[in-house]
Amino acid sequence: MSRSDDTGMAAREARRPPSSASLVVSELTLLFRRRRTQALLLALAAIPVLIAVVVRVSTAVPAGRGPAFLDRITQNGLFVGVTALIVSVPLFLPLTIGVVAGDTIAGEAGLGTLRYMLVAPAGRVRLLIVKYVGAAAFCIAAPVAVALAGAAIGAALFPVGPVTLLSGDVVEPGEAVGRMLLIAAYQMVSLLGLSAIGLFLSTLTDVPVGAMAATIVLSVGSQVLDQLPQLEWLHPWLFSHYWFGFADLLRQPIGWDSFTSNALLQAGYIAVFGALAYGRFVSKDVLS
Amino acid sequence: MASKWLRWTPAVAVPAVIAAGVLAGSVPASARDPLPDKTPAQVLAMIGQHTTKSLSGTLEQTSEFGLPDVPQIGPSSGAGTGSIAELLAGPHSARVYVDGPTKVRVQVMDRLAERDAVRQGNDVWLYNSKDNTATHVTLPEKAAGHKSPDSRTPGTMATPEELAARMLAKIDSSTDVTVGNDVEVAGRAAYNLTLTPRSQGTLVESVAIAVDGEKGLPLSVEVRARGQAEPAFRTAFSSLTLGAPDAGLFNFTPPPGATIKNLALPATPHAAKDMGKHHAKGKATNATGKSPSLTGSGWETVVGFPARAGGANADAPSADTLLKDPLLRQAIITVPGGRAISTSLLNVLLTDDGRVFAGSVPLERLQAAAAAR
Repeated sequence: MSRSDDTGMAAREARRPPSSASLVVSELTLLFRRRRTQALLLALAAIPVLIAVVVRVSTAVPAGRGPAFLDRITQNGLFVGVTALIVSVPLFLPLTIGVVAGDTIAGEAGLGTLRYMLVAPAGRVRLLIVKYVGAAAFCIAAPVAVALAGAAIGAALFPVGPVTLLSGDVVEPGEAVGRMLLIAAYQMVSLLGLSAIGLFLSTLTDVPVGAMAATIVLSVGSQVLDQLPQLEWLHPWLFSHYWFGFADLLRQPIGWDSFTSNALLQAGYIAVFGALAYGRFVSKDVLS
Repeated sequence: MASKWLRWTPAVAVPAVIAAGVLAGSVPASARDPLPDKTPAQVLAMIGQHTTKSLSGTLEQTSEFGLPDVPQIGPSSGAGTGSIAELLAGPHSARVYVDGPTKVRVQVMDRLAERDAVRQGNDVWLYNSKDNTATHVTLPEKAAGHKSPDSRTPGTMATPEELAARMLAKIDSSTDVTVGNDVEVAGRAAYNLTLTPRSQGTLVESVAIAVDGEKGLPLSVEVRARGQAEPAFRTAFSSLTLGAPDAGLFNFTPPPGATIKNLALPATPHAAKDMGKHHAKGKATNATGKSPSLTGSGWETVVGFPARAGGANADAPSADTLLKDPLLRQAIITVPGGRAISTSLLNVLLTDDGRVFAGSVPLERLQAAAAAR
């Protein structure tokens, strides 16, 4: 992140009155122009490249070992994207989301730009929503980056053909790409709840690193709790519980149950942590 | 100061609304009309006469046998180890599509993997996505015509109907059959048929079968073990649609790149299936030890398999096949006279001389049966 960007934003905020749409646009431009955001997306895109190159130069992968679908890559390049998405679900995606969502408010507060933004009559609620929209846009960009990089490198290094689904049925490459985009959409929905948590944590502190670390720790902690059979009653309430449920999109016919359960759960997390972030941010003393 | 606290109202209200919604959703809808009263015999007749041939639904299975859990961590696909115990232990969900007796598809949905069994006529394909293997089985002509629990395909979960048929076969004078309060399964009102063994010598406390109030189709089977609050085993539809599923689901062609195997069906696949009906006291087997022996009757039946001799009975469970199972291997304990796998519903004794005894009875009964030879 460069200093000039942030001072530019403060200057821009001073003009008035900014419309909601222009606020969102400027937030998105700012987010995706940041070196850090670009580096995060590049790192995510490197995962499928790494997988594809390793599989290409190594001998045959025995079936049933390593991440799911790893052994299918040599037959069909489209599986690179799927495998990379599976590999990045537990850590890499939450990590990048934690960095972006944890930075939303705390980043501005830490740099001292938050008070300038609030001097302009943007309104705290509107600022909170704009910041969340920015984080949500990154939730779309992150899995799509993995899927697209995977499909591209897979098509470059391996043959592309009809794709075998989990059920043993075979679909044409066109439909397979559609299903991969569905998986990316599923991942996006999965990460929205975590973004809301990150947004709330970001309103608690002026130290962005603290909010980022706390968000990432929570995502790992939630997954650890999800593995303990003693806490079975808690599992459906953990925001990471349905993260691997996108496998249902690779069945024939597509199982939508996990998609809807996941969407409901994430909506609940957005509502709860959005309300918490509202309560904290609106009553927060940022001007002193 | 008051207005500052007012800002936190949404943060309190939203969880409260969600909690209220969850509570309201979990209260069963009791407004539905109660089913007409029926005697156990009438409910049994309903099961026998039901004509539901086509359905698609999702089955949820849970079990609490006291076997070790297999944790699934990380991005690898779970299950599919080929372990029989794995299919029985732990939670599983499966989608079931049925269109008449000869068109069946069962999809066991594992984590990032799936095991399929597709039956179209006499052809059965078993597909495991984890190792990408397809197995082809041709059923004998006899099994094609009629629908019997014996014709179920290997390697998949049993449906409530198959299990109910097996449990109902055990009904005799040693079983108390009652109809309890109506239950709701997969959004359908159902009779709650309960089988309670009169004998104290079995591990089974009761078996509850939910029978659809309208169609007579078994919707769930729940087996309770003595001295355990949780049901030892439960399989139930979580959603059910009556009517013919998409015909394309029953056409299965092994995907390119899959390892294809042909499996020959053993000649007498289920020799010991009707064991519950037999009253074989003492030594009912021949001395050469080719077929299983039965001790006790009804719920207390103990099945004994002789030591394997030269592959004469390749189908009978031997100590070797049980010991090879990765899940069961962890559960084996050493007892006087051999080793045992002890669960809340079933005990298995592997004697030192290679014989296997199994039954829903306390371990002492198995040891007594082993000593009697």
